Amino acid sequence: MVTATATTEMSRAYQVAASVTDPELPMLTLADLGVLREVTEEDGVVRVTITPTYSGCPAMDTMRDDLVHALREAGYRDVDVRTVLHPAWSSDWITEEGRRKLAEAGIAPPGPAPRRSGPIPLTLTPPSSRVPCPKCGSPDTVETARFSATACKALRRCRSCDEPFEHVKEI
Amino acid sequence: MTQLQEHFERTIERDQRIEPRDWMPEGYRKTLIRQIAQHAHSEIIGMQPEGNWITRAPSLRRKAILLAKVQDEAGHGLYLYSAAETLGADRGELTERLINGRQKYSSIFNYPTLTFADVGVIGWLVDGAAICNQVPLCRSSYGPYARAMIRICKEESFHQRQGYELLMTMMRGTEEQRQMVQDATNRWWWPSLMMFGPPDDQSPNTAQSMAWKIKRHTNDELRQKFVDMTVPQAEALGVTLPDPDLKWNPERGHYDFGEIDWAEFKRVLAGNGPCNAQRIATRRRAHEEGEWVREAAAAHARKQRERREVAA
Amino acid sequence: MSAVSKMAFDNAYEAITEENDARWAYGTGFTDPLAGVDTTVPAEVDGADLAAYCLMLGDDALILSHRLQQWCTHAPELEDEVALANIGLDLLGQARMLLTRAGKADGSDRTEDSFAFFRAEHEFRNVRLAEAPNGDFAFSMARLLVFATWRLALLQRLTSSIDPVLAAIAAKGVKEVTYHRDYAAQWVVRLGDGTELSHERMQAGLDAVWPLVGELFEPHPVELRLGPAAVDVRELRPEFDEVIAQVLGAATLQVPDAEPLAGVSGKAGRDGVHTEAMGYLLAELQSVARAHPEATW
Repeated sequence: MVTATATTEMSRAYQVAASVTDPELPMLTLADLGVLREVTEEDGVVRVTITPTYSGCPAMDTMRDDLVHALREAGYRDVDVRTVLHPAWSSDWITEEGRRKLAEAGIAPPGPAPRRSGPIPLTLTPPSSRVPCPKCGSPDTVETARFSATACKALRRCRSCDEPFEHVKEI
Repeated sequence: MTQLQEHFERTIERDQRIEPRDWMPEGYRKTLIRQIAQHAHSEIIGMQPEGNWITRAPSLRRKAILLAKVQDEAGHGLYLYSAAETLGADRGELTERLINGRQKYSSIFNYPTLTFADVGVIGWLVDGAAICNQVPLCRSSYGPYARAMIRICKEESFHQRQGYELLMTMMRGTEEQRQMVQDATNRWWWPSLMMFGPPDDQSPNTAQSMAWKIKRHTNDELRQKFVDMTVPQAEALGVTLPDPDLKWNPERGHYDFGEIDWAEFKRVLAGNGPCNAQRIATRRRAHEEGEWVREAAAAHARKQRERREVAA
Repeated sequence: MSAVSKMAFDNAYEAITEENDARWAYGTGFTDPLAGVDTTVPAEVDGADLAAYCLMLGDDALILSHRLQQWCTHAPELEDEVALANIGLDLLGQARMLLTRAGKADGSDRTEDSFAFFRAEHEFRNVRLAEAPNGDFAFSMARLLVFATWRLALLQRLTSSIDPVLAAIAAKGVKEVTYHRDYAAQWVVRLGDGTELSHERMQAGLDAVWPLVGELFEPHPVELRLGPAAVDVRELRPEFDEVIAQVLGAATLQVPDAEPLAGVSGKAGRDGVHTEAMGYLLAELQSVARAHPEATW
């Protein structure tokens, strides 16, 4: 977590919020994904801040609901879930734990996101990034589709064991 | 029995996975290609009834949810075709077989979507039935298929929840909306029950597929589970399932339900449902109109390869 | 595999009901895409102008998203089916935030849906490029290349807008539109370099799109009045030309030489004066929402 302070990480409300899972990648929690930005408690109100991965993320309402539900179950009556857009979510925010869980589920975790200044260069040929196969570990894999079932993933194939697998894109 | 065959049988027996580069009997390979291809075709054809409402979705939030869902289906089709390719199948050939009517897809998609409530009911009933069918496939003996199914099931249970949530919202809306939901439920209920396939005593492929652990439950078992799961959901929603014979049977510990119209099932399966011709025609048109595009991509890739070879 | 053991796969019933009941008992209610974001308009920015500007950028995204949605189930290959839906979804997401921002900026508190479904055609402020019917795949890729190249250049500059909400929406958009531009550019190269037929069709697609390019670089008085809250589109032209030249060079295609499409008495999309295609687009977009104005979805 980048913005949550040590005290909020310790709090029970944080622990509850952090255990809520992503609706589409339920092996990951919102904390693993870096979507959970902050949890504060003030005058009995728990304020949870989340950020969308992509502008068109269709799961924000569901996450908000699940957070409210989980916190109410844990005894917090007054829960306020807020969206924050800045800074924009980056795949770099997926935690080590999140990366491990992705790999375990057969999804290749993202490499480091590009850091840019100035005009963004055009990519005319798909980059030959070396994404190791989550099944056999071979680095000999190819991208077969830039976009996959959800916005955050691309589809690849391993040339060693033939496994088709998804890869979380670097953004 | 050869050594290879013995190894295969033992792997199946121990509930371990067969992987693409393992030896497998030709019958196993063929059965799997057929099953995975039909599953992939179903994802792709299944985009049409829902895709029908994306541009008209009555709120931007519902539009985003629906668009994301249809994208998911295309993505699922994509990774299922990839799984079929690990068995040596060719996606182009499988698509040809679909548009020539030689390979099937789920009959449910041969029914029309007539109001926006259908979007919710498809999520609730059709995705619900699909998940019942698919969850056991996560333990299919063929590795890439089983792993694809795990991901697909997780994503689809999210769709089901969103579909149900749309219906809940509509039921809390106007009287007209409530009627839309009931009407859509009436139209989709029986076709959903048909999704589990013919009754066990008339299902030709079940026995071998069960032995090979490609399939894990019989059609009737899964159908019963679906009914048991859905009745309380319908009650919570406040809609009536259109079956006067539907009632709890305490002795069996299950709901009894009425006779399915298998004649209708066969008619739709034979190609005479309300939308069979339309669905295939749409798929065929996209395939044919895209041919020049695919040819161009292949030609460009070839030229690129040649350029690299010349440079090297 | 451990992922398997987490679900009770032996029992399909349990596997799908284990987590359901409690979560399904309630709906999500309605929440806007900027719930909880501080939408105060900075003191030096005019709220009405800012709202109009948000509608311009939001309508561009909403209307092009609609055109991309129309590709659904008609794309040449499955990969493109996924990509076009994904790009449409990204743009729809951007539109939702921008329309919501508009309703907060002008103080009317109108929602994204009120803007999308209950405005008349002349109140839509998108450029005409966005509303043009899809044509063939070549036309659609030419349009997407032009749109994404222009929008990326715009959003990148908008990240330093003095309106923090607009800047944040833009920063998210930059990441997304980078992919959109690459996708379109790669197709333009494949089609231009591919076969004789595809080369011809790609050039024809570009030629047909080009009259709609000029409008993108005509600043509207609202944009100019907003100063550092907005971007002066005239600044974008050199970067746009450079990127297009790079793509068309690789694709062995010619940059078209076309007169900009005339407006009506000098008015065009940004002023709410559209093409004939727009009426049909809105009829489709708005039909269900308008048939049930009292409904909640």
